[in-house]
Amino acid sequence: MDFIPHNDKTIAEMLDIIGVKSLQELFQDIPKDLIIEKLNLPSGLSEPDLLKQFEKITQKNKVYSSSFLGGGCYNHYIPSLVDFVTSRSEFYTSYTPYQAEASQGYLQAIYEYQTIISRLTQMDVANASMYDGSTALAEAAIMSTIITRKDTIILFKGIHPEYEEVVKTYCWGQNINIVYASEDNLIEKLNGDVAALLFQSPNFFGDIEDISKFAKNIREIVPNCLIIQAMTDPTCLGILNPPGLTDIDIFVAEGQSFGLGLSFGGPGLGIFTAKQKYLRKMPGRLIGKTTEINGEKTGFILTLQAREQHIRREKASSNICTNQALCALATLTYLLALGKTGLKEVATQNIQKAHYVKKELSKIPGYEILNKKPTYNEFLVKCPNIDSLINLCKQKDLQPPLKISSYYPEMKDIALVCVTEMNSKNSIDTFLEIARIVSNNKTEGE
Amino acid sequence: MISNIQLIFDKENEGNQQNFVPKMEIDQTELDEILPASLLRKDLPIPNIPEINIVRHFIRLSNKNYGVDTGIYPLGSCTMKYNPKVNETIAKLPGFTRIHPLQEENQGCLELLYHISKQLGEITGMDGFTLQPAAGAHGELVGLLIMKKYFESKGIKKQKIIVPDSAHGTNPASAKMAGFSIIELISNEFGEIPLDQLEFAMQDGNVAGIMLTNPNTLGVFDRQIKEITRIVHENGGLCYYDGANLNPILGICRPRDMGFDIVHLNLHKTFSSPHGGGGPGSGPIGVVKELIPFLPIPCLISTEKGIVCRENDNKSIGRIKAFWGNFGVIVRAYAYILALGSEGLKKVGQIAVLNANYLRILLQQKYKLPYNRICQHEFVLSDQGIPNDITTEDIAKRILDYGIYAPTIYFPLVVPGALMIEPTETESKQSLDYFIEVMNKIYEETKQNPELLKNAPQNMPVKRLDAVLAARKPILHD
Amino acid sequence: MDYEFPDGLKYATTHEWIRIENSIATVGITDYAQHQFGDIVFVELPEVGMVFEKGSNAAEIESVKAVGDLIMPLSGEIIGVNQNLADTPELVNSSPFVDGWMIKLAFSHASEIDELLSVDKYKQIIQNEEH
Repeated sequence: MDFIPHNDKTIAEMLDIIGVKSLQELFQDIPKDLIIEKLNLPSGLSEPDLLKQFEKITQKNKVYSSSFLGGGCYNHYIPSLVDFVTSRSEFYTSYTPYQAEASQGYLQAIYEYQTIISRLTQMDVANASMYDGSTALAEAAIMSTIITRKDTIILFKGIHPEYEEVVKTYCWGQNINIVYASEDNLIEKLNGDVAALLFQSPNFFGDIEDISKFAKNIREIVPNCLIIQAMTDPTCLGILNPPGLTDIDIFVAEGQSFGLGLSFGGPGLGIFTAKQKYLRKMPGRLIGKTTEINGEKTGFILTLQAREQHIRREKASSNICTNQALCALATLTYLLALGKTGLKEVATQNIQKAHYVKKELSKIPGYEILNKKPTYNEFLVKCPNIDSLINLCKQKDLQPPLKISSYYPEMKDIALVCVTEMNSKNSIDTFLEIARIVSNNKTEGE
Repeated sequence: MISNIQLIFDKENEGNQQNFVPKMEIDQTELDEILPASLLRKDLPIPNIPEINIVRHFIRLSNKNYGVDTGIYPLGSCTMKYNPKVNETIAKLPGFTRIHPLQEENQGCLELLYHISKQLGEITGMDGFTLQPAAGAHGELVGLLIMKKYFESKGIKKQKIIVPDSAHGTNPASAKMAGFSIIELISNEFGEIPLDQLEFAMQDGNVAGIMLTNPNTLGVFDRQIKEITRIVHENGGLCYYDGANLNPILGICRPRDMGFDIVHLNLHKTFSSPHGGGGPGSGPIGVVKELIPFLPIPCLISTEKGIVCRENDNKSIGRIKAFWGNFGVIVRAYAYILALGSEGLKKVGQIAVLNANYLRILLQQKYKLPYNRICQHEFVLSDQGIPNDITTEDIAKRILDYGIYAPTIYFPLVVPGALMIEPTETESKQSLDYFIEVMNKIYEETKQNPELLKNAPQNMPVKRLDAVLAARKPILHD
Repeated sequence: MDYEFPDGLKYATTHEWIRIENSIATVGITDYAQHQFGDIVFVELPEVGMVFEKGSNAAEIESVKAVGDLIMPLSGEIIGVNQNLADTPELVNSSPFVDGWMIKLAFSHASEIDELLSVDKYKQIIQNEEH
């Protein structure tokens, strides 16, 4: 395929006007020994041939009709509206809105995104997004060390293992120390060098953490220690108490559940919010409302840019340049499409369906629910034979739950089961039937 | 006073459309048996809005927004080329959108990631790639962390990075995030790096390497590039290539041959994935063979069993993002490379440079061009000499009045009142001629009718906005 | 370009002005500096009681298009900061030498005052920079 709109005649005309004899002459500044003859790649393809090629590629992936797999990426329904809005090429073929007056549409949409996230989370400020939940958490950790001028952060048990790894890499880059803690030893790990405590809720294992118990203790021992919460499936905010009402300093989340689809894990959306007092230390883009200089009309504009890399350069607290604008637009559309009623209903179904599966599973011999705290749409269950469970699920076109030992090898025969509003009664019954079969086989085998 | 804008929140009604949630179907339990009341929220201030109102809202907003599909978008350093629509069809195939990152049956996706690394390797000359970084700046951070790990593995401590004064702001910011400090070199009158300054800076002994883009942000190809990379290597440093300006050299020359050890690419610039209004992007990193062990996890290799993850032996810098990178963006780039093929990619470089020089030759007849030589994909004008105190900002705002988008302004910093223009290869001659006509008209206006510029824009939904007020009293949400 | 260069003050090469009264120094940025910044949108001031060495960054000044530091011209302890700048940072633009003052410090090393510039020396530097 070819998107060059010139023919040879036009090219010759233009070369003439420029004053060179050939296209090659335009590259006269490049040393001759660097010029290559051609790339060793196949010839191009037309549209139909290209599509055929991709059909072959997608056939090597399996699309399941139902899923019990979560682990940081979730199967929720995406209204058709979302794709409709993000397919408007006035949005998706535009660039960062530096010329505000020609970009009022997108700027307003992102301002609305900041607003809706702020309302959903009850946090004072939301930025225009970061790359994803994992990098948002890492940048929050760095931000806390800049605010407090301290060099240590505490990672509370239960953060998604991939998120922990990302935080670790970012902290290594900046010589920030990491301390690991759990409920038993958190208090003793606190000291004057700690900039922040990072935790996830609902956590990787499904538990909803009630950090308010700890928050008071933490702030007594280290008064200006920040408390940072991460969340991988924010649909729970349709029903759970928002972080802004639980005195969280920085709240980050993965916005994939809000209209982005699975898409092999990317692009995602790094929701990033904080208390008002940290505004000027926040990384990422911010859209603000303002008025005309010589008029009364309201408009939207990129603001507080002096925080960002293009002005602050090596003094910037973050190098982030893009946000995930189109993903933020998708999330805004999703939240508007569902509205408060729909969002509450989605969250309710997630909780109810997951609770139902938990309850029924625990009645089957050989299965033990391991969570001691309330859960949202994921939970841990010890199985009689996890490999057998997984194989039977696949045979019945159910995407099996996550085998936890892929992240924690010592946790054998434990599954992380995820149930969302997309799980029909049929799929749930099939799953429970499979669970019974596995249990029976184990008993028979013994 | 009726406001000129209507936020979506102003369109709330108490209607209760329940169109997007399937049936519950299972027996419910009392909520207070599942969750304690203290965990439940009392209030959810998200509006309920009928679907038709949402649609109209966004259609109207899109009418107030300008994209490449609207007209020429000559933003320097951004490569605003046409985004092929077939890429959208491909990226939306259920065989991609419905694949979970943690599922096992994913060879289609892994093969795609592996094959695009090979293609990018051929295009840049680099030996190994990671597709993990989510954006160019993210890629820069990864590249610098690889440098850091490389020196650590040799037991050497290097704490400084050299950048030219023409560098994009992300370069020094990324260096800082990786724990380095900056040495800045001042470009000479040709826009190139003075070799003596470089030699002197390298003698410090503490320099991990240099970050460069070539062609640079002035659109100029640094003819001494091989000398530069040689000097850095001889003094024990590594060379990092910022691939934001790769478009003009596609199929013409390769960063590896110039002597670079690490390269980042912007799939959303050079490889036609849409900019999305500011993301999502994708910033893959390519490295020479010696640095492959340090690539972030997961790193893909080809075996008889298919494409699998390389074992993590702790040489890697670690993980820099959850899952597999911005897969949806990568799919589009892969489609683009397959669609264009070897000849198509070379043509991109040739015509990008043709279009830029065409504009350069014709615009410099009126506007000041500080670096007056053959440019590559972009060139930089200055507002010096423009009468009546008209600034670059005024010119940019007036361009909007003619229904097209303005070039990048006030970057690079080395040119006062910079106006950085990159047309890309997908603009037709008519489109370029219209841009020239507009610029010439505006030039006349600076002499005859300066108030038109001072008060610009007049034809947009709003006039010039108060950035100072927005920064002094930030209102970030309603 | 005509900038103000009030007498009775000392100056620094990094464009701070200093008023010495007994053992207290009041510091702000010069008219030339505020002009380079453009409209100032925010000033991040240190806390009273903080101690800084000469040459370190005491405060951060932001405009729409730039960010810069107030460099301590003398070592000492911060004993006062201009609270008005929180709501009206534009005072730095309109009155850089009076209402736009930034910090007051009790300096610890009187000898450092000799290293500061006289108004004539500072004027010279500005004239050179403008050419």
